[in-house]
Amino acid sequence: MIPSRARRQPAGLILLPAFVAILLAGCGSAATPAPTPVGPSPTAVMAPPATGAPISATPAASPSAAPAVTYPLTIRDNEGTAVTITARPTKIVSLTPATTEILFAVGAGPRVVGVTDADDYPPAVKQITQVVKLGAIDIEKIVGLGADLVIAGGNGFNSPDSIAKLRSLGIPVIVVYASDVAGILADIGLVAQAVGEAAAGQALDASLHAQVDAVVAAVAAAGAPRPRVFYELDATKEIYTFADGIEQDDLIRMAGGDPITTGSPTVFSIPLEKLLVADPQLILLGDAAYGTTPAQVKVRPGWAVMTAVKTGAIRPIDDTLVSRPGPRFVEALRALAIAINPTLVLPSAPPATAVP
Amino acid sequence: MSIAGRSLALARAHVGRPARAPGTAALALAGVGVLAVVVVLAVATGSVAVAPADTLGILLRAIGVPVARTWSPAAETIVLELRLPRVLTAIMVGGGLAVAGAAFQGLLRNPLADPYVLGTASGAALGAAIAVLIPIRAAFLDLGLLHVLSFAGALAAVAVVYRLGRGGGPFAPLTGLLLTGYAVSSLLAAGLAMTMFLAGSNLRQIFAFLLGGLEGSSWLRLAFAAPLIAGGSIAIAARARVLNGLLLGEEAAAHLGVEVRRERAILMALASLVTAASVAVAGLVGFIGLVAPHLVRLVVGPDARRVLPLAAILGAILLVLADLGARLLGEIPVGVVTAVVGAPFFLALLRGTRSAYEL
Repeated sequence: MIPSRARRQPAGLILLPAFVAILLAGCGSAATPAPTPVGPSPTAVMAPPATGAPISATPAASPSAAPAVTYPLTIRDNEGTAVTITARPTKIVSLTPATTEILFAVGAGPRVVGVTDADDYPPAVKQITQVVKLGAIDIEKIVGLGADLVIAGGNGFNSPDSIAKLRSLGIPVIVVYASDVAGILADIGLVAQAVGEAAAGQALDASLHAQVDAVVAAVAAAGAPRPRVFYELDATKEIYTFADGIEQDDLIRMAGGDPITTGSPTVFSIPLEKLLVADPQLILLGDAAYGTTPAQVKVRPGWAVMTAVKTGAIRPIDDTLVSRPGPRFVEALRALAIAINPTLVLPSAPPATAVP
Repeated sequence: MSIAGRSLALARAHVGRPARAPGTAALALAGVGVLAVVVVLAVATGSVAVAPADTLGILLRAIGVPVARTWSPAAETIVLELRLPRVLTAIMVGGGLAVAGAAFQGLLRNPLADPYVLGTASGAALGAAIAVLIPIRAAFLDLGLLHVLSFAGALAAVAVVYRLGRGGGPFAPLTGLLLTGYAVSSLLAAGLAMTMFLAGSNLRQIFAFLLGGLEGSSWLRLAFAAPLIAGGSIAIAARARVLNGLLLGEEAAAHLGVEVRRERAILMALASLVTAASVAVAGLVGFIGLVAPHLVRLVVGPDARRVLPLAAILGAILLVLADLGARLLGEIPVGVVTAVVGAPFFLALLRGTRSAYEL
């Protein structure tokens, strides 16, 4: 068959825009910031503090002015959506482990009817029905339990489609997402108000504020230099660490370190070359629980030029608390501060209040 | 005798009708009966136990039969808002994919053809992956950017394949079309791999689409998909005689009066439309479009006027059952269930059947 020159289509022109679209979408996703900014919350917690500044520079809400929560209540969640709760929730479903901890810490534990399969604190959660298995939300179960409030995680932690589906069925869903430590405290206040425990929420907020301020003051008083910290989540195949603009970066900063991040808000992996250029002075092994030891890190090919490997500044750390933006984040903050500066002396932590 | 009738007689003489094949109407009726039973079973089952009597009551009350309310509002929401649209979407998608598969098999005269053979799957997957990377949260009729772009991607891919596959001369060689489809699919698959690499934390969303699933089904989404799938399928079924004619080969069909190029373009467009709508609401569900037409042909022969409606019913039954299995096994992707169950069953059937047919 003789190809007709006159009819030859410029096929490349059809495919070229497709490729350009792919490349632009890829570059665009790296450049645009995370689409879910931390919105203002109804409790009087303020703008995020500057790097390293003690959080008490922005004062906590005064404990005496704890307004009683009246229903129906309309609050704005962290995505800016106005959520209306018609009555005091009696069947609360939590879709993130951190939210479950917050609910129990403010005294709403007996009203929680649905949790995830990743929840493990406090121990009482093991008896509660699991509505999330391996990340898949069972909407039928949530409806079957008669839930009247669902609290979900933002920035893609819980599938946005499932959240939209729950809302379309008339169930109020509050989406929480904290991109820094002030955001965690704001979320605690938001959840406390939504479930009608504003007083407990403010008390918890004040206590956590004080503990955080104590740690920050101790770090400032020690006056140690601020090392470049690389927090390793996993390095079996690619190297995973924290992305930009998430609360763990803020935690490390408050603990006296300068975190090395991936440079993008959605990508959690960092190429080895970029890490070598960043040259960490301290490596924290968040994957220590999976068997990674400092000795293994030292013999990794190419890692020997890092300052941290040369000076042996590789320390294991318990990742479960660091990765959970709940009320126990102060324990993570204390652990990070001591890991970054082992000679640091912290004021003793207040005794943990018994959780009902 | 009309031209189309003559072509049908020739086709029948060439291929032969299996001995003692049951009548189409009887089979269709039986199929619809089985479908009804399967639908009630699927709507009654799920992770929350709703008594079968309550399920029937809820369904009857929904269509207007006055039944006393003995169930909780939660059960009614679960059945009417969660399970029923999901099952109806499965019927639509299963039937649509089966009809599109039968159409492609007849068009390309290739028993291995399925609805995705001309690049539809790769185009839809690439469109969905690009949509996941773009942080826009718009929704129209419960369809996010992902569904719209996967629909557009599927259609665009087929259009490109059709344009590139048309060589010179009045008849587009089928082999050239299939090879072009394969080449364009590979190209788009490379683009998909690139976008998956750039996806970062959104990778799971793309993967969920690739494996197929009906979790997001709702009445609004059904309102978008049903007219497209039903309309396209009926239009294809109306052209069953043309499909029969094309079975004889392009030149023979042309000599019998079938406008080969025009009809081929129309049938491809209709089948691609049905496939694109199915993929937009259910992701990539494999195997139904390939197997359902063959299973039907093993019983009634290759006459498209009988195969198309029966394949639609069988495809619907298969997908409803597969979705039920996927739900009970813990919301695993539907595509996995169709492959794991369908393949061995089809193999056994092929080995056991005596009657032969040519495609």
